Amino acid sequence: MSPYDQEPPQWAIKFLRFYCKPRALEIIEGDAYELFYKRIESEGVKTARKKFSWDVLKFFRFRYIKGLEDINSLNNIVMLKNYIKISFRSLLKQRFYSLINIGGLAIGLAACLLITMYITHELSYDKFHSDSDRIYRLGAWTPARLAIQSKMDIPEIDEATRLQGPFSQTFNIDGKIFKEPMGFNADSTFNKVFSVEFVEGNPSEALSEPNSIVLTQSLSNKLFDYQSALGKVIKVDGELIKVTGVVVDPPKNTHFRYNFIGSYPNETWVTVGNWTGNNFYTYIKLAKGSDPTEVQDKLKELAGKYVGPELVKFTGHASYEDYLAEGGRERNFPMRLMTDLHLYHPRLSLRSGGDINNVYIFSAVALFILIIACINFMNLSTARSAMRSKEVGMRKVLGSLRKQLVNQFLVESMMVSIISMVLALGLAALVLNGFNNLADRSFDYNDLFMGQVLLQLLVLVLIVGLLAGSYPAFVLSGFKPIKALKGEVQKGGKGSSFLRKGLVAFQFAISIFLIISTVVVFKQLNFLSNQKLGFDAEQVLVIKNTNVLENDAELFKNRLSQMPAVERMSMTRDFMSGGVSDWGYQTIEDNPREHSFINMFATDGFLETMGLQLVEGRNFTNELVSDTASILINEAAKKWLGWDEVLGRKLSRGDGEDYTIVGVTNDFNFTSLKRKIEPVIIRVMGNDGRVEADWYAGNYVYLRVSGDYKRTVEMVEELWEETVLDEPFEYAFLDESFAALYKEEERFGKLFTASSGLAVVIACLGLFALAAFTLERRFKEIAVRKVLGASVKSITLMILKNFTQLVAAGAIIAIPVGYFVMEGWLQDFAYQISLNNPMIWILPALFVAMIAWLTVGFLSAKTAMSNPIKALRSE
Amino acid sequence: MARSNIGEFEELVLLVVAILNDNAYGISVMEEIESQTGRKINISAVHSALDRLESKGFLDSHVGGATKARGGRRKRFFKITVAGQKALDFIKEQRNRLYDQIPKLSLDYVSL
Repeated sequence: MSPYDQEPPQWAIKFLRFYCKPRALEIIEGDAYELFYKRIESEGVKTARKKFSWDVLKFFRFRYIKGLEDINSLNNIVMLKNYIKISFRSLLKQRFYSLINIGGLAIGLAACLLITMYITHELSYDKFHSDSDRIYRLGAWTPARLAIQSKMDIPEIDEATRLQGPFSQTFNIDGKIFKEPMGFNADSTFNKVFSVEFVEGNPSEALSEPNSIVLTQSLSNKLFDYQSALGKVIKVDGELIKVTGVVVDPPKNTHFRYNFIGSYPNETWVTVGNWTGNNFYTYIKLAKGSDPTEVQDKLKELAGKYVGPELVKFTGHASYEDYLAEGGRERNFPMRLMTDLHLYHPRLSLRSGGDINNVYIFSAVALFILIIACINFMNLSTARSAMRSKEVGMRKVLGSLRKQLVNQFLVESMMVSIISMVLALGLAALVLNGFNNLADRSFDYNDLFMGQVLLQLLVLVLIVGLLAGSYPAFVLSGFKPIKALKGEVQKGGKGSSFLRKGLVAFQFAISIFLIISTVVVFKQLNFLSNQKLGFDAEQVLVIKNTNVLENDAELFKNRLSQMPAVERMSMTRDFMSGGVSDWGYQTIEDNPREHSFINMFATDGFLETMGLQLVEGRNFTNELVSDTASILINEAAKKWLGWDEVLGRKLSRGDGEDYTIVGVTNDFNFTSLKRKIEPVIIRVMGNDGRVEADWYAGNYVYLRVSGDYKRTVEMVEELWEETVLDEPFEYAFLDESFAALYKEEERFGKLFTASSGLAVVIACLGLFALAAFTLERRFKEIAVRKVLGASVKSITLMILKNFTQLVAAGAIIAIPVGYFVMEGWLQDFAYQISLNNPMIWILPALFVAMIAWLTVGFLSAKTAMSNPIKALRSE
Repeated sequence: MARSNIGEFEELVLLVVAILNDNAYGISVMEEIESQTGRKINISAVHSALDRLESKGFLDSHVGGATKARGGRRKRFFKITVAGQKALDFIKEQRNRLYDQIPKLSLDYVSL
């Protein structure tokens, strides 16, 4: 066979033709072919082909790679240089406009940059775990047996682990006491489900023994002062615990952000457990390639098999099937991808505090600000176009193609956006702390200057530059040279000024919308804080963790009561403003009804300490033994019960455990006003903090204090330290705790204030520049009007009228949108302000109009007052 | 005469082009070098050396001679220019002059 029938590898030829300069291509190809044919004869086809490819790769040298000049012609590079030079000159020539352009865009981009960073971070939660796409959380709270049983029964489940937490524990290291939050308990398999990197200790055995603890590196460094912690025995919550591992701190973007992880005790509630108490978080890792829906079905089966029989013991049905047939809720353990927990199931995430809605809101705000900035950019560029019509005409006469003109203007707008980008980076770095506050995150410069974020910004900048620059580029380049040179002003038709006006109106619409949102958020917050809670939260000091007192409780309380500043006090199980659990009670009547009442335990000083009013009946007292079964209810509970006379009636917990209602208190909110007032039962707690002989529930002591708060807190702290060894003193003022419930809403308020402020500032900058430009163009017209007798006032009003129309148009768009959006936001609250207050809508619009008038009015008055001679003399 | 900025490999290529006279193109130069010196070289190295020499003015080139052996593609023939000739002369003269000045002693040492 002739060697000329053989062909060298096609990819190599294609590659050569792709990169090689046309001038050298034929010669190189020829030589390569000649060698190829020669080698077929001497070395065989295979080697020849291999060597051909190798030759081609070796020719991939700078000398032979196509350069810019090969793609088109050398001329283009020169032109590009020229474009950049001209762009610089025109930017410098109109410093004022350039400044507004670049400044506004930089602010917009900075906002976008920060929010891109935020969104990137939010979306990255838990993705760092290897196989994160196969790790699922089962249910919310799950039974102890679920993890073990499901792993045994369902082959697709590779690993399962249980967690509990987060809780705070007290570490005692040689007498030094540290209270550390975000601690968890976990099974020894936790490192098989989650990706955990051990610095010290054996990963597979770290949590297999009871009384073991794994610390994060930062905690270990804090506790042991950068010494090795492995094997040390420390006191945690009074128990001796051995440190069996030190792990690298979990990254910021995880919903499971532990500080330390303890092992489970070797007790039956852990090892055997049951199917009815839901006390654990269960995580499973599926085998590669298994179908989650199938696993879900199997879990349902499992729930029926194990939970069902236990369930019917309580309900009294013959079987689980009967229970289902009678409309009982089918039990299952819904699987949720771990990576979804942070954003989509914030209630299930272990206090990572994310919400997909926040991501949406932040994105919308960033987009708004960017749009406003872009509109400025476009408007100013188009507006300035007329001034450059002569330049365009001249270029065209000298032979510029339309394409080249388009390029020139695009280069100019790209330059503006790239300069803005650099400024935006600086700005973003400056306001990073403030942003952390708004977003409730802790970003640092590393997050900000991360490659991915910067890349996204760059793409954004290029798009903005292209979009914002394209309109002026195409309009300007379309000028007829003759007309342009004759000095006829080409407006690009009516369309251009209409578009400009529309864009300005849109800017106003966004500004007004953001201001409306701000007003509504703050009005609602204000409303909430002025809303009567039903008790007096001021001057109530809460001492936390009094459950460690146990037998010292009475002594501690006695000594507290001797303090002059303490007016009243009460020991309780529950922390008002936090969550209070509900317990089921049955009415005792012919047709018993059941209801879950909010159930509190307190000593008899509770009503007076909290400033609650007794509506009827009497308070229970700790002095009477017979009062242990007495309860107080609130008016809402009375209403629910529906009895005319509630005093003396009884509620039952079943098994003859009956409680007599002795008094009715006024209604009160025990937590955020997002919740309506609910029926409450207050039960007696003994003075020693015990509800029953073996149940100590005195978690908090409430003090109604007067006088100098600071002094009182110091005195209580001294007393605490005398009484308690292992627990640091923690306290809260109840009014502050209630205010803290609206932290999220306050962040919202701040976000809207910041963004509406920015929007108004950027929009005004644009408006100012646009007004200045309009007036400049109408300089002569105004002068002529003035000469003919128009007054300064009438001229100013004439110009103001134009801009007022735009604000009005903006308001017409913004108000319905604002109404719709804010109504949705208010749905979260049980107590809302009314949106039908016209002030909410008119004031923001008026505010924006005022600012517009000030901006434009100042300029137009200045123009109107100037000497008409100056304008007319030149002709 | 001006310094001829010419590398070792370039000098070799220049010499070979001069030797081959009318038949100097990429492959013939490569093969000649291989057969004369036993050095294994890649064709791309020859090409870039030839290009460099041409841009320095030591070589001249013309395109021609499409053959079947090249799949119908033309080759670029190189020819040494007067400047190239002079550069070779200069290098040779300079080298000889320096060589002649080596004292006997050190030559012995070198030959060991």
